[in-house]
Amino acid sequence: METGDEINICSDNEVNDYYGEDANNTDCNYDSLIKEEDSLDSDSDSPVAKKRPRLEGPPDRNYKVLKQSDIRERQEKTIAEVAMVLSVSKAVATVLLRHYNWSAGKVHEAWFSDEDRVRKNLGLLPIIEFPLDSTEVKCGICFDLFPTRDEIVSAACGHPYCVECFRGYIRTSINDGPGCLMLRCPDLSCSAVVDQDMVNSLVSEEEKQKYSTYLYRSYVEENKKIKWCPGPGCEHAIEFDDNQGWDVTCACDFSFCWNCVEDAHRPVDCETVANWMAKNDDESETKTWILAQTKPCPKCAKPIEKNEGCMHMTCHSPCRYQFCWICLGDWHNHINCNGYKEDKRKEVEDAKRHVQKYNHYYERWAAHNLSRLKAVSDLGRVQTEQIEQLSEIHGKTQIELGFIAEAWQQIVECRRVLKWTYAYGYYLPEAEDAKKQLFEFLQGEAEAGLERLHGYAEKEVRQFLNADERSVNFEGFELKLKSLTGVTKKYFEKLVRALENGLSEVQEAGKSYMEEHCISYFEICELPN
Amino acid sequence: MIDFGRVQKELQECSRDMAASGIKVSPKSDNLARLVGTIPGPIGTPYEGGTFQIDISLPDGYPFEPPKMQFATKVWHPNISSQSGAICLDILKDQWSPALTLKTALLSVQALLSAPEPDDPQDAVVAQQYIREHQTFLGTARYWTESFAKASSLGVEEKVQRLVEMGFAEAHVRSALEAVGGDENLALEKLCSG
Ligand SMILES: [Zn+2]
Ligand SMILES: [Zn+2]
Ligand SMILES: [Zn+2]
Ligand SMILES: [Zn+2]
Ligand SMILES: [Zn+2]
Ligand SMILES: [Zn+2]
Ligand SMILES: [Zn+2]
Repeated sequence: METGDEINICSDNEVNDYYGEDANNTDCNYDSLIKEEDSLDSDSDSPVAKKRPRLEGPPDRNYKVLKQSDIRERQEKTIAEVAMVLSVSKAVATVLLRHYNWSAGKVHEAWFSDEDRVRKNLGLLPIIEFPLDSTEVKCGICFDLFPTRDEIVSAACGHPYCVECFRGYIRTSINDGPGCLMLRCPDLSCSAVVDQDMVNSLVSEEEKQKYSTYLYRSYVEENKKIKWCPGPGCEHAIEFDDNQGWDVTCACDFSFCWNCVEDAHRPVDCETVANWMAKNDDESETKTWILAQTKPCPKCAKPIEKNEGCMHMTCHSPCRYQFCWICLGDWHNHINCNGYKEDKRKEVEDAKRHVQKYNHYYERWAAHNLSRLKAVSDLGRVQTEQIEQLSEIHGKTQIELGFIAEAWQQIVECRRVLKWTYAYGYYLPEAEDAKKQLFEFLQGEAEAGLERLHGYAEKEVRQFLNADERSVNFEGFELKLKSLTGVTKKYFEKLVRALENGLSEVQEAGKSYMEEHCISYFEICELPN
Repeated sequence: MIDFGRVQKELQECSRDMAASGIKVSPKSDNLARLVGTIPGPIGTPYEGGTFQIDISLPDGYPFEPPKMQFATKVWHPNISSQSGAICLDILKDQWSPALTLKTALLSVQALLSAPEPDDPQDAVVAQQYIREHQTFLGTARYWTESFAKASSLGVEEKVQRLVEMGFAEAHVRSALEAVGGDENLALEKLCSG
């Protein structure tokens, strides 16, 4: 895997891809990124403000950030397209698209291969007309008699309900949540769909709005290629195309794993992260959960309130996951909550034995996480204040001072990686001694490099900020900071690569690997001052 | 607000065909939001001969929201909590529709007594017994019907009392009575032979 790239003193602006495939990232620089964000900004309603270059993802990224307006536009376009091709109303096209995860291709395929079957499955029945002169009609909900059909409404099936009752039916469903998007005729034996046109003809503006918000959200939530950005307060979504590497960075700057929607966690895999996060929850929250009336759905994490006596919980649409309130286990594979107790006792024993080990890794995981958050805010300060100040005092352009922000971006990224390596370390089997040694060596090397870089970036810069005039030492500072950034980057690349290979080098070379491939700690000290 | 006009119609309709369905619904208080339903135990089940009372309370959104139903009579059934009487039945939850009524809901509860769904249990202990020791399950369910769902149920404690006075341990007496479905003579035989 060594590609022969010598310690790079970061002479160019290449910051976008620290650990990606080296071959593709040559045209990635500040300029292209800034241009891209400018175009995002140019939309009038764009919430995107101050931007900085991404830390991850190759320039021809395998994902796309979608704003609200993008999502609406795409949704409307798809609905209109399907309505036109199939010659159906937009409301019917919407029903079809929702069923086929918003894929127009799949709708067309299914429809043209067997329209009748699709209609039957989705409750898109031919409309039954009733003569208006017929005798008294009884509403199927309030059981009142109505002299004519004027006050009666029905879905295509013709099951009669009075306007008031049907309105109440739809209203209750809308207030219940996004399940209203799949509303059918109230008659349990009937599958006739209640589509958006019918909803809109009966409910208030506010309820129509609510319904259309659910519909808007369903475009992302039921689409297999799009997910909401979990960044705080962010309303963007990320569209992902199959490719290697799940980490994405939203326009709001939040980085996350598109697959499991945790914080970006490369090089550690999603499963390890899930186990680790569950473990952390376990330690602190189990007890409060048992008492609470609300628990997050174990599948989609939306809060589910328990309001029945029964332990069988069903999550809201569209998730509809069924689970046991007590143990949060899958309802259908759920035999006995009591069986859990025996496992639990053993688990307590194990936990006692492992508690020290866990604490060791957890403390470090948490500390690097905190340090990363601090570095993120420091990076912000560097970009808004420090660079301007330094540029005034030392007569450098802001582009010439770009190396300082680069150093901080490297710090932020490395803290992230380092944090996750502690989750990795926790799950590394104790029996695999050689792997453990290699892991700890690489981790130690990377960590030491990072501490050095972080300390230097934090402290050394002060003398130049406080200087009254241009300082000759500044050139030395620049050179050393760049070197430290480059060296730290290399350490982390190596660590990331090794973990992604499952530390397989160990089998081939054992100890000699360390001797041959590892950059000496002390190279750093030989750097010019 | 609860549609009381509809509740009234439901009660009338229900009492009209009570003879045929055996299902009764009557108000507990005068505001019709709290009612009691009564269903006969289905024939050919361990609940046969029992009369089961179900507490019903109507939420404000009724009939758009499902009625809350809970067994007031203790019952031994995989989908009903032996502790609280809570019922695990989809139409009382997310499968409810305003086109259903209290009567149709109670009929579904009655059908649940005939056809337990041990794969979707409310009471894990009962469900385990239903699957693994079906005979024991039938005995227990019958004993509970005998003890709690019959007018003569009051007699159980007296039977226990009498057998204990004969010199048997109370725990043995109770399990013997349970095993034979509450018949005092059979229980005595069992106690003597065991
Ligand atoms: Zn009506
Ligand atoms: Zn219908
Ligand atoms: Zn975002
Ligand atoms: Zn992940
Ligand atoms: Zn869920
Ligand atoms: Zn459970
Ligand atoms: Zn249930």
